Amino acid sequence: MSHINLRFRDIVYVMVALVALFACSNQMEPAKKAIADIEAAVAAAGSDAQQYIPEQVKAVTDQLAGLKAKFDQKDYAAVIAGAPAVLASAQGLVAAKDTAMKEIAAKKAAADAAAEAAMKDTWASLSSAVPAAIAAVDSRLSMLAKSKKLPANVTKDALTSAQNGLASAKSLWDQATASQAAGKLRDAVNSAQQAKQQIDAALAGLGMSGG
Amino acid sequence: MADSKQPGSNAPKSPDNAYTQWYEVKAGDTLWKIAKAHYGDGSLYQDIFKANQDVLTDPDKIKVGQRLRIP
Repeated sequence: MSHINLRFRDIVYVMVALVALFACSNQMEPAKKAIADIEAAVAAAGSDAQQYIPEQVKAVTDQLAGLKAKFDQKDYAAVIAGAPAVLASAQGLVAAKDTAMKEIAAKKAAADAAAEAAMKDTWASLSSAVPAAIAAVDSRLSMLAKSKKLPANVTKDALTSAQNGLASAKSLWDQATASQAAGKLRDAVNSAQQAKQQIDAALAGLGMSGG
Repeated sequence: MADSKQPGSNAPKSPDNAYTQWYEVKAGDTLWKIAKAHYGDGSLYQDIFKANQDVLTDPDKIKVGQRLRIP
C-alpha cells in the first residue's frame, strides 16, 4: 500500500506543479499585453511630449520600467495589478501635452502683444520728435546759410557735419514713414531711431538744445 | 534795448514743440546782438523778430526775461 501512496503523492506533486506552471504562463500574456498597451499610450503622446511635460513623462516611464522589472522577475501578477494605474497616467499624457502647448502659445501671444504695444508707443514718440527736430535743424541751417559768418560756437566742420546729418535724417525718416505705411512697424521704428541719432548729433553740433 | 510793451497778436508760423530753440532776454540785449550770437550775423535780427511777433511789436523793444524763439 505504501508504494501506491508514494505514487499518488508524486502524482499530486506533479499536478500542483503543472497547475502552478499553467497559472504562471496564463498570466504572462496578459502582463505582456498590459506593458505593450502602456508603451503604445506613451508613444501616442508623441516624441515631443518630453519637451512639453518632461516631469509627467518621466513619472510614467519610471513606473513602466518598474513593471518591466517585475515582468522580468516573472511576477506577472504584480504587473497585472499595477498596470491599470500606469496605463491611465500614460493615456493622460496626450491631454497634458495639449494643455502645456496651449499655455505656451497663450504666453507667447501675450508677450507678442506687449511687444507690439511697446513698439507702437515708441513709434508714437518718434513720429512726434523726429520731424520736429528735423524742422529745427533745417531752420537753423537755413539761417546760417544766409549769415556772413558762422557764430562763435559753430565750426565749419560742425556745420558740414550737421548738413550731412540733416540729409541723412531726412532720408531715414522717409524710409521710416514708408515702412510704417506698409505695416512694417519694427522696420519703421529702426529707421526712425537711426534718424533721431543723426538729427540729435546735428543739434549738438550746432549748439542747439534737444527735446 | 530790452523794454516793456504790449505784445502783438501774431501767432508763430509753426507751433512750438520740444525742439523750439528759446532764448531768454538779458539786460543790455538787442535783437541784433542775439542774432549775432546765434547766427554770426546781427543783420539777421529781422528773422528773430518775425518769429516772435506774438510777443514783439517793435524789433527795437525787447524786455528782460522775455523768451524768444530763435529759428
